[in-house]
This record gives sequence, C-alpha cells and structure tokens, in this order.
Amino acid sequence: MKRIICIGNRYRFCDAAGPMVYDLLARRDLLPEVELVDGGLAGLDLLRFVQGARRVVFVDAVVGFDEADGVFVLNADEAAVCAEAAFDHAAGLAYLLRVLPQVLDGQLPEVLLVGIQGEPNDSAVETAAELSLSLAVEGGARGFLGHVDLSGVRG
Amino acid sequence: MPETTMIDAPETRVVKRTLKVPLNRVEGDLEIRVELDDDCVSDAWSTGTMFRGFENILRGRGALDGLVITPRVCGICGTAHLTAAAKALDAISQTPPPANAVRIRNLALMTEHIQSDVRHGLLMFMADFANPAYRGHPLYEEALRRFEPFKGEAVIEAIRETKELLEIVAILGGQWPHSSYMVPGGVVATPSLADLLQCRHLLAKHQAWYERRILGCPVERWLEVDSAADLETWLEEDSHRNSDLGFFIRFARRIGLEKIGRGPQNFISYGCLDIPADSQVRGRRNEVTDQLVPAGFARGTDVGPFEQARITEHVYHSWFEDYGGGRHPFEGETRPRPPETDDHKYSWAKAPRYDGLPAETGPLAEMIISGNPLFTDLVGRGGANVFVRELARLVRPAELMPAMRQWLAETDCEGTFYISAPRISDGEGFGLTEATRGALGHWVKIADQKIQHYQIVTPTAWHASPRDSNGVRGAWEEALIGTTVQDPANPVELGHVVRSFDACLVCTVHAVKGGRSVSRRTL
Repeated sequence: MKRIICIGNRYRFCDAAGPMVYDLLARRDLLPEVELVDGGLAGLDLLRFVQGARRVVFVDAVVGFDEADGVFVLNADEAAVCAEAAFDHAAGLAYLLRVLPQVLDGQLPEVLLVGIQGEPNDSAVETAAELSLSLAVEGGARGFLGHVDLSGVRG
Repeated sequence: MPETTMIDAPETRVVKRTLKVPLNRVEGDLEIRVELDDDCVSDAWSTGTMFRGFENILRGRGALDGLVITPRVCGICGTAHLTAAAKALDAISQTPPPANAVRIRNLALMTEHIQSDVRHGLLMFMADFANPAYRGHPLYEEALRRFEPFKGEAVIEAIRETKELLEIVAILGGQWPHSSYMVPGGVVATPSLADLLQCRHLLAKHQAWYERRILGCPVERWLEVDSAADLETWLEEDSHRNSDLGFFIRFARRIGLEKIGRGPQNFISYGCLDIPADSQVRGRRNEVTDQLVPAGFARGTDVGPFEQARITEHVYHSWFEDYGGGRHPFEGETRPRPPETDDHKYSWAKAPRYDGLPAETGPLAEMIISGNPLFTDLVGRGGANVFVRELARLVRPAELMPAMRQWLAETDCEGTFYISAPRISDGEGFGLTEATRGALGHWVKIADQKIQHYQIVTPTAWHASPRDSNGVRGAWEEALIGTTVQDPANPVELGHVVRSFDACLVCTVHAVKGGRSVSRRTL
C-alpha cells in the first residue's frame, strides 16, 4: 500500500496547504494501490498510518527552505533533521520522522515530504497534488527531489 | 538564550534582573517573564502570544457545528472538546445519552488521558532531567539512558506503546484525532463484539507495559499506597525504585522539586466520567457515586462543592476589549484588542476565576477533590508543588484503567447507543468535563437553530491566566514565585514549574502563528 498523508490545519490558511491538497485529491479517482489520508494535526499519532505502508508521501506547509516560495520535495532524512531536541505537543512531522526507524514495527517504508512554502494558491496546491500522486506511485528516485519554482505561476 | 536586563538596586543590595524565557515543549506559544531578586523569582508574567478566536468562528454557524469544529481546537485533547460540546447540546436538547453511550464516551476520554499522561511524563517533563544543567549529578547518566531525546529507552518505549492505544478511540469513534461521533442523544456508532474485544486487548497490552515500565508493580499494588509513609515503603522495593516512577521520585527529591512551584493552593475540577446507574464501577472508596472523577473546589485540602455559576473570566490584562471585572462565560465576550505600546495588557489568554480566586486544575486537583488519601496527605503536609503535581499525572492511569476494563466488560453491543434527539431548540446549555490537563467547559446559546454565543474555558486558561482585574496572579505566575534560578542562561527550574502543569497553549490562547516551529525552519 502507498499512502498520501496530508497534514495541517484547515482553519489556518498559512497551515492549510495539506488539507487543501487532500480536498483536491479526494475528488479524484486514485489508483487502488494509493490510499489518501486526512492527517489533520495528528502529529506523532500518524505513526499508525506509516506502519505497514510501502511508501508514504506527506504533504504539508513548510517555511524557511528557500527564499522563493514554491513546492519542495524532501526525503525523510532531510525533513527529520529539522526536529527539535525534545518532544512537545506540537512535535509534528519532523519529530515523527526522526524517531521513525526506532519505533516502527515491520519494514521501514520509503518516506517523502511534499512541502508547500508560501501561499497555498491554486497552482501550488495542484502542483503539490500532482507531485504527491507521482511520488506515491513511482517513489523518489526519479528526479523529483528539489524545488519546483512557482514564481512565474500564480493561481 | 534568554534576554536579561540588569537593574541595580543598591539601596537594598539586591540585584534585580528581568528574564524573558520563551519556553519550548509547551503547545503553542508561551513566554514567561520573571523578575529575579538575586537568583530568586520575585514576580512573574505569563504571556500567551497567539490569538485564535474559535468562539468567533462558531458564532452564526449551525447548532451542531460545535461537534465538528471544537474537536479541532486541539490535536491532543479533541475528545475532551467533543465531550464538552456534546454535553452542552445534551443539556439544550434535554436528551441524556443511554448508558452504553456514556460508557463509550468515557472510554474514549480515558484513553486520551492515559496516552497524554504517559507522553507528558516521559517525553516532556522528564526530558528536563537530561538537561546539561544536571551534568555531574549522581543520577544524570541514568536520566540520559532513560529520557535523552530521540534515544532514551523510556522515550522510545513510550512512543512505541502509546501509538497503539488511541486505536481504542478510532475503533469506538471512527477516527482520532478530531473525532465527531458524540452527538446529542448518544454516539453514532455501535461497536461490535470484535471491536470491544480488540479494545480490551489494546488496554490490557498497554496496562502490562505501564505496570512493567512506569510503576514497576501491578496497578492494584500501586493503589494500596495511601499515605506519604506508604510511599516510602513502596519505594524500598527494587522493582519500584528502578521503575520510571521510582526514578522520577528519586531524581525529583535530589533536585528539590518538592520545594518549588506551589501555586495558588486552590484546586478546581468540573468532574467527568459519568457512571451509568447500572454500572458496577465505584468511586475511590468503593462508594456509589455519579462521576468517577468528582467536581469540586478546594482550598488546600478543604474540599467544597462546585457550582459553574461561580466561574468568571477577566480580560483587564488580556488583549481583549475590557468589560469591567469578571463575567460568567454565558455573558463573556471575545473581542480582540491588539497590543499597544505601554499596555497594561500582556496576554492573549483570559483570566478565569472561581469565586474570584485563581486555581490550578488537572490530575492533582482531581486527586485532592476525589479525596485520594495519598495526595491529600502529601498536599496536607507541604502544599502543592512540582513533585506532587507531576506524581499525580504519572499515576493517574492507574486510577483509570480498572474502570476502563469494567466499562468495556459492561458495554452491551446489542444495547442502545443512541436516543433520537429532537431538533436542537433555542436555549442555552453548558458542557463540563475534565480534559487531560483539567477543567474544560463549553458554554453555548442557540437561537434560530444557530450558535448565537460560544465560550470555551480551557484548563490551560486556568493555568496560563494573566493577572485578573484585581491584579491577582494566575496559577503558574504564582507558582513561579520563590523559584531559585541557578543559571539564567539555562533556567531549567522555570521549565520544571511550568511543565508540571502540562502547559498546552494551543487551547488557551485564543490564534495563529504560521506553522509548527521546528528548529530554524517551520514544518
């Protein structure tokens, strides 16, 4: 099973990128092997959705990865280094990825993060949705990793 | 690095300093400012730095919308918010839920408490025992082995074990977090026998781990500890001393946690976990009672009755439009007034009061108000403090798990889980419960099938409260007074005090700051 887990807070526009991608993908017919999850604010409790999956693509709002806004794709290690030194109620995705190898039962899935930096406008959300689908099916070894510049595209 | 300002006061030969401490490992944004006389905190100000405004989001929406929106107030205690929202609508619609639904609601709330208590203790509070401030301490190496972030054996085990526990909520309620399965008249799903058996398995597995790792003994043995003297006897057993609870007691005593963090010495519980009339579950002293966790207000260990009409919220020192004095939540307002220069206001949190008094809430308050003999004895001897407050949180699961087992056994999957509720009529109602961090209340008015008024008073609002209209400090402002700070650049002692209340600012502050802060970046 491959999972796309969209996380964030739909009541806060600056953190709503994940739920907006979820809403877009939820209206589509996805391949049977791809499962879509509304991760909300679950944080560490998303572990149960990572467990048992072959590949997991997280979609979330990010800040501070580049001067330009856009869509970023990172692997688990790149995102995990952002984790602070201790757990808190809002530990979030980075903490989860940092402890993943130690707390997961079974085989560790391939984990990727599609991050949207800046305003989650239509083009950013659509780009992130397409990337998420492609990554869920094909994985991260096909040259997607990096920054998709949206400076010339506005929704 | 905290910001420090030196103020010389030669007439008293005391060095006054102001320390601003942005605290991590609390939910949301919190800034504590303390004034130090030499190294001792002489005054404190607690600032919630975000405005949220859920009350304003809810106004004008459909009567049932609180069931969907308020569980999203917080990703940690969504079940508690759902419970409060549902109870308010139960009251307005005058449709009490059937016994089976009460059990399901209780089980979900208790699961949330147990998971949160364990995570707070092992992942948040005791992470400070691995702080470099304690390097050289005789127990420091053991603290690192247990609680070092990302790799301590207790940290990793706690994550592994607690990740499964919330499946109980998902099984009974369809999802977690942000579940919305409680409705006026009961719950929307009927668990199958297989569902209930799976819940029993998950609970039994968690209890076995909790007994091995945290207590070092069976729950029943811990529940025999009824006094400070009993606690000393309990601690003599090797398996107890070497458990995480035993280590907490040993380390906490060595660093003097029983000497700091007194707080207002008033305790409040709204009560929770209604006991159905046909249930075999009893209170702590095996008495027949309405709620497993009773409501009450205590001054020290002097416990009195609780009446919600005595609750008020003040905003004189909060960034809201003044309304003079305190107002009951049915009359309360949430009209933000952004910070101004030279402002006497300093927080987005409001200041709740009971009979005009600040109070602490949460596991310790529940223990005192329920008459738990151990905690009544401990607080009777030395008052509330960081040690006894965190001890209460670590052992609360032991108080809850036996009742959970009983309620799972009593739930009849062929029985009634929902009574058709009439359309929500115009009126007002309140839903009171205990969230993991303590007293949580929703006050709701419905007019023309829409929410006319919604006020939420969270447990962390009680704790993070700024001063009220009379200038009286909030709970942890008061608790910080008298704390000695050894190193202003690493004020670990202040962290102990605030974290002993299990701060959760997302609930408290009524806003929004972009993203979740993660080191130099935000994810």
